[in-house]
Amino acid sequence: MGISTQSHGIQSMLKEGYRHLSGLDEAVIKNIEACKELSTITRTSLGPNGMNKMVINHLDKLFVTNDAATIVNELEIQHPAAKILVLAAKAQQAEIGDGANLTISFAGELLQNAEELIRMGLHPSEIISGYTKASIKGVEYLEELVESGSESMDVRNKVEVVSRMRAAVASKQFGQEEIICSLVADACIQVCPKNPTNFNLDNVRISKLLGGGLHNSCIIRGMVLKSDAIGSIKRMEKAKVAVFADGVDTTATETKGTVLIHSAEQLENYAKTEEAKVEELIKAVAESGAKVIVSGGSVGEMALHFCERYKLMVLKISSKFELRRFCRTTGAVAQLKLSRPSPDDLGYVDSISVEEIGGVRVTIARNEEGGNSISTVVLRGSTDSILDDLERAVDDGVNTYKAMCRDSRIVPGAAATEIELAQRLKEYANAETGLDKYAISKFAESFEFVPKTLADNAGLNAMEITASLYTGHGSGNAKLGIDLEEGVCKDVSETKVWDLYSTKLFALKYAADAACTVLRVDQIIMAKPAGGPRRDAAAAAGAGMDED
Amino acid sequence: MSVRVLNPNAEVLNKSAALHMTINAAKGLQDVLKSNLGPKGTIKMLVGGSGDIKLTKDGNTLLKEMQIQNPTAIMIARTAVAQDDISGDGTTSTVIFIGELMKQSERCIDEGMHPRVLVDGFEIAKRATLQFLDNFKTPVVMGDEVDKEILKMVARTTLRTKLYEGLADQLTDIVVNSVLCIRKPEEAIDLFMVEIMHMRHKFDVDTRLVEGLVLDHGSRHPDMKRRAENCHILTCNVSLEYEKSEINAGFFYSNAEQREAMVTAERRSVDERVKKIIELKKKVCGDNDNFVVINQKGIDPPSLDLLAREGIIGLRRAKRRNMERLVLACGGEAVNSVDDLTPESLGWAGLVYEHVLGEEKYTFVEQVKNPNSCTILIKGPNDHTIAQIKDAVRDGLRSVKNTIEDECVVLGAGAFEVAARQHLINEVKKTVQGRAQLGVEAFANALLVVPKTLAENAGLDWDTQDVIIALTSEHDKGNIVGLDLQDGEPIDPQLAGIFDNYSVKRQLINSGPVIASQLLLVDEVIRAGRNMRKPTA
Repeated sequence: MGISTQSHGIQSMLKEGYRHLSGLDEAVIKNIEACKELSTITRTSLGPNGMNKMVINHLDKLFVTNDAATIVNELEIQHPAAKILVLAAKAQQAEIGDGANLTISFAGELLQNAEELIRMGLHPSEIISGYTKASIKGVEYLEELVESGSESMDVRNKVEVVSRMRAAVASKQFGQEEIICSLVADACIQVCPKNPTNFNLDNVRISKLLGGGLHNSCIIRGMVLKSDAIGSIKRMEKAKVAVFADGVDTTATETKGTVLIHSAEQLENYAKTEEAKVEELIKAVAESGAKVIVSGGSVGEMALHFCERYKLMVLKISSKFELRRFCRTTGAVAQLKLSRPSPDDLGYVDSISVEEIGGVRVTIARNEEGGNSISTVVLRGSTDSILDDLERAVDDGVNTYKAMCRDSRIVPGAAATEIELAQRLKEYANAETGLDKYAISKFAESFEFVPKTLADNAGLNAMEITASLYTGHGSGNAKLGIDLEEGVCKDVSETKVWDLYSTKLFALKYAADAACTVLRVDQIIMAKPAGGPRRDAAAAAGAGMDED
Repeated sequence: MSVRVLNPNAEVLNKSAALHMTINAAKGLQDVLKSNLGPKGTIKMLVGGSGDIKLTKDGNTLLKEMQIQNPTAIMIARTAVAQDDISGDGTTSTVIFIGELMKQSERCIDEGMHPRVLVDGFEIAKRATLQFLDNFKTPVVMGDEVDKEILKMVARTTLRTKLYEGLADQLTDIVVNSVLCIRKPEEAIDLFMVEIMHMRHKFDVDTRLVEGLVLDHGSRHPDMKRRAENCHILTCNVSLEYEKSEINAGFFYSNAEQREAMVTAERRSVDERVKKIIELKKKVCGDNDNFVVINQKGIDPPSLDLLAREGIIGLRRAKRRNMERLVLACGGEAVNSVDDLTPESLGWAGLVYEHVLGEEKYTFVEQVKNPNSCTILIKGPNDHTIAQIKDAVRDGLRSVKNTIEDECVVLGAGAFEVAARQHLINEVKKTVQGRAQLGVEAFANALLVVPKTLAENAGLDWDTQDVIIALTSEHDKGNIVGLDLQDGEPIDPQLAGIFDNYSVKRQLINSGPVIASQLLLVDEVIRAGRNMRKPTA
């Protein structure tokens, strides 16, 4: 082992364990392969008839879902190129909260078609330039496809809201979308602020309670806390609420304090003064008219005793954020220390009670009147994984609501938009001269995967459906989509499947962006994986233990 | 061998073996970075130890992340880093220029030339090129009114080599405006006064220039305003939280009243400070004005509560660098004690608002008067896009700064390199006596690597050699032309608006031959001591 004199290239210059991949075959094609793998995983989950995946993550937690965002999140993708797709999906999820699957699958499809082009002899940079042109044009076309009259909507009109939300929810929970949509729409409309663009996702809470079925689910105007009241008073009607952020207990100094006691009397007296002090405080609260005390920290035994005596209901909410939400629900202002609250700082609830649902004791704070800005969707289901999946569907619904508050424009769903885009882009490609033509027409072709996959997942004949869609669109019906239940093509204004324009727009942009990024890379330099216990080894050990 | 006698573990490479090793290393490094050069260069993907992705085209970033081990390569990489420190751009050019110098030398050495003679030739050529550069540069007059167009062209040239075209063009305006914003007459430009902030949000094309400041934290009190207009801004470095005494102190009390008294006493000094701020607020604020306190130290919950009740927005734990920028952006001055609170020490901003992204909070201080500090807010859907833009913005800022300070620019697109080469071959070479001529020639040919690589990376159907011939013959006719990467034809860089920084080229010409000479004059490589390559454990 001497200083190498012969070795050429970069490999010899890198640290041990580094890997370097470059060139078309080694880097680009490999990257595409990896992305294709990823998109084949998510693709079968696309659409209302998409299949569920069972994912077990490194913590041995089981996920049964067809929500692509969850799947890719838990898969912990290692391959750098595939990771770019995952990042695009995550960005989509963060921005819109829906359409992650579309992003990944579409990017995968774009890359797959790019591979064909590369094999045909095109240079990746030519493909990128074509794809970029196509995506810009695609965005233009997409805007033209916006259903006229949908620019403005009343976000408080349940029918309109449901019609826009249905497609998003149906792709997660097919067959139950009516129930979920109506729940979500109610919840969202209720908390929608004056200016709908300020709609806050945090104001729609989801509470999962095991047992019952979806039809037992309901909306509560207020909050559901998964904890019991501390004292013996479990129910209060039309009560004022005082909220204390720091805990209901005797006050303490920041510096350590020591009680100085000289004699037995003093000891006795000390306890009494302490008692008197707490009583004074609790009394002050009670006199202010408050009937319910909510504490953000610990509740002292003595304080509790006096609360009982003054007939105050005591709740403990230890999460800071939960406490803030509670403040929003009741309109209370959190006091830092236990003291007499001013009347303005008191909140109000119509009723607050401890109820038992499915064996769990929960505290439900209801506020039917105005001023309430939080609503809770109580989901019921028979198993944890069903509940989790329902939650994701509701999440998507709420996210869609948020997106429609910002931009209410809609485009035809059920693959109608995709086919129309494909068709128009193909025409555009034909008009184009030069090498971009090939890439643009492949970009157009990539859209076909949507109807194909939808049909495939529903067990229909994909080719037939796609062909008849094309025929329909060719003859000028831009709103022709698939009716998955009957297995025929129908005008979406009949089936009422609408997608949000912004979902499609972002998915299209992110997917094209991710695909181009993957194509742009021609060299990969990988560092040695960082140390620490290897996860798969640990998982293997864990699996081994299970068998014992 | 003698070293072996002294230390049996030492490894030695002699004479030609040593030379070849260094040359190979230089060529290897050149190969890696070659494909980065120019607007048509490709992207490299770097995967970190923990699987994090970085995409880059920037030579400097690449060298930093690659963790090179070969000694020669390290030397070259250091030169590139020095290039980046001084001029902020041209790292890739440095590396490939050195590589090419070594390649040219290799040929001469194989033909039996002594490296020393070559080095002499390099030295002559270097001096001549620097002289030529001074004649070749295009002066730019930097009066009070700066020629924005030329700055934009320089910034665009730099940015386009780091990012794709659409984004680069958009960033050009941002970068130029931000430098002009912080520029003060008669003072050196301090690029730190441009805050670069990122948000993982939307698309890369949503990146924008904020005239004001963006802070990456928000108020910590739920009842504070999220948005306020017409704000008086107090920038301060005053602790508004209870601090424990240094000495070990304790309280002694014997009943609850006494304890209560102590609790209030403990807080009194903090409360008083807060009250002073509130007093000031009452003094300066009318009905429509708002008051914002941005504190470098902490503000504890009771103080926040007091502020919130007065309708004051309180931000705690601001970064030190932002305190300086805030004062530059909003005016006023940073206050270190509540005793010197005066209305004059307050700054002013038209709009202060908070933007929440998931868990992260951002506070925007906008619509300020006559800002001398600004923020480039980078947006991107994911971390690697953001990092890429960040690196590019930094280089873009540097290039604008360089132009303002150099007061001149150099024609780009390979025009300078071709012109310098022709100058060396046609003029300088004849004045040189003896074998050093070959050194000059090697140097001259090495300069051509830049246009050559540009042509190669553009990857179109024309032949690299053809391109070079076309360029040199145009130059011989007296036309100064560069390379058009769209169709491979010679173009006038002046018309196309392709300008490089003078200082970048200067540094490149200066450092390249020096390091190449050093490497050529190495005749023995000795590695003694423990071999770090073999894992010892």
